[in-house]
Amino acid sequence: MRLRNGILFAATIAALAAAAMAIAGANPLAGFAALARGALGGERQLSETLVQTTALLFPALAVAFAFRAGLFNIGAEGQLIVGGLFAGLVGASLLAPGWIAIPIVLGAGALGGGLWGGIAGLLRARFGGSEVIATLMLNVVASLLANYLIVGPLRAPGVEGAETAPLPLSSWLPPLLPNTRLTIALVLALALAALLRYVFARTVFGFELRAAGEAPRAAARAGINLTRTALVAMTISGAIAGFGGATLVAGVFHRFNVELSPGYGFIAIAVALVGRLDPLAIVFAAFAFGILQSGSLTMQALAHVPKDVVAIVEGLTILGLSARQLARREPAAV
Amino acid sequence: MHEIAGFLELTLIKATPLIFAALAGVICERSGILNIALEGALAAGAFTGVAVSSTTGSPLAGAFAGIVAGALICGTLGIAATRFRVDQIVAGTGLNVLALGGAAYGIVVLFGTPGVTSEVHAFGAGGEATLVAIALVATLGLQFAIDRTPWGLHLRACGENPKAATSAGLDPRRIRLVATLIGGMLAGLGGVFLSLGELDLYSDGMTAGRGFIALAAVIFGRWTPLGACGAAIAFGALSALQFGLQRAGIPSELMQALPYVAALVALTGVLGRSRPPAADGVALDS
Repeated sequence: MRLRNGILFAATIAALAAAAMAIAGANPLAGFAALARGALGGERQLSETLVQTTALLFPALAVAFAFRAGLFNIGAEGQLIVGGLFAGLVGASLLAPGWIAIPIVLGAGALGGGLWGGIAGLLRARFGGSEVIATLMLNVVASLLANYLIVGPLRAPGVEGAETAPLPLSSWLPPLLPNTRLTIALVLALALAALLRYVFARTVFGFELRAAGEAPRAAARAGINLTRTALVAMTISGAIAGFGGATLVAGVFHRFNVELSPGYGFIAIAVALVGRLDPLAIVFAAFAFGILQSGSLTMQALAHVPKDVVAIVEGLTILGLSARQLARREPAAV
Repeated sequence: MHEIAGFLELTLIKATPLIFAALAGVICERSGILNIALEGALAAGAFTGVAVSSTTGSPLAGAFAGIVAGALICGTLGIAATRFRVDQIVAGTGLNVLALGGAAYGIVVLFGTPGVTSEVHAFGAGGEATLVAIALVATLGLQFAIDRTPWGLHLRACGENPKAATSAGLDPRRIRLVATLIGGMLAGLGGVFLSLGELDLYSDGMTAGRGFIALAAVIFGRWTPLGACGAAIAFGALSALQFGLQRAGIPSELMQALPYVAALVALTGVLGRSRPPAADGVALDS
């Protein structure tokens, strides 16, 4: 039943995408073929798809982590940006062997993202303010702040545009395949997915988070501190997204740029929902959306389908899956 | 004197789309729907207005189409929230992605090149002033309607205690749906103001987070039309000041971030107690 519904849902979305392609004057079959070719057609294409998968996997796990604890983190985008900013600033000014530099750069990303998520968590925990509104606002503040800092007071000498100085070669993440942008970030993301699955299924901490998300009143009765849980869950969620931003900096672009993310933090919500908030399923969902991300440009070039069809598909997916019962939310003060 | 008049004019122009969107937010939230799809509704209204003005040559037809497009986006949220009991936040996020992506797609399909539409017949200065006036009149009308009419009472009842409203013979599902439709029309008109009032085209990213600033204005305005309008005008004044202050060396990002940071501060409650409708964003029992 579940499988049938899933197939039906995917078929509906695909049919709507085909209609959008046809309206744009393109042949839908050619469109899908070009998408597949652009995403899976060779070693280079496949590696780029896995780069996109990795970029989506971190924020998707971040979103899922918060959702499981009953918190709506719409702010993975901002947390990813602040994480990337921290990683870029620290990385550009750090000259050390890789085994020292890389953990510091990635750690800086987690710290930045955790800080950004933690602000929303603190507002929720301490003042009862809605984390939804807080994370929405913090998303915009993140990109404004990043832009201000790297164009203004922290501008690197000799750098044009809104980006930091490049990271020294020693801080680059080691590639998995030579001459591609695919790095060990993928391995780290998969390991994180496995770790989160273990945490939710097997640990007391994971149980407390789920209890706070699924039955907050009962959890409070059982002695779980909901205030502390909200703060911790939002901070960890932000740290995961920030870590992801750092892997983009250290693995893909080798510097921080304000246009680091084409909206990974928002697409991540679709990824997390398709994966039913289960870390293992999210890995496969991230791969599916990675195909869309990496194949969309080829689709545009070969089949003359506007690449924005992908955004339409993502929006419809989020909308269509919003009916899933994610968490029983208590009304929070906005 | 001349400069002050110019500043006030620019303030109202910058505030008007925020006022429309904030009024939409107030109606929806007072009925119990936390509408974060305002950004998408603004984009849908702005793009559709340009698209229809381009094909018909009439900005007025464009405005009506933009209003319908806004209603379509928010109405979808309303139907999803009242009939399918979806999570309003997730559905709103999806609608934002859909509307912004749909507008980007529409630019390519209708105008051939990505990023920006061609210039179309727009309202010009006279029409722009009319839309500003409509926003202010709508604020007063809505304040009166929410405070003093049976419709307003029913709306508030649904936002505070839908169960009690049901016991009193009201249909919260219908009331919430109607609220999202009216809100969507207002937000759509706000989008039309951006594309056909202030300018004569639509470009990607044109709404620039105004839907979220509007949500901040709702909080500041304590969920009242007058308050939200006042906050929107204050935010409009900030963007009007931005040009002058930038020349004085104050970075524009700081000014742009101010409404959002102010909303975060408001969330802490240090600016005085402000409480959203009790059932804001809470799904109805079936």
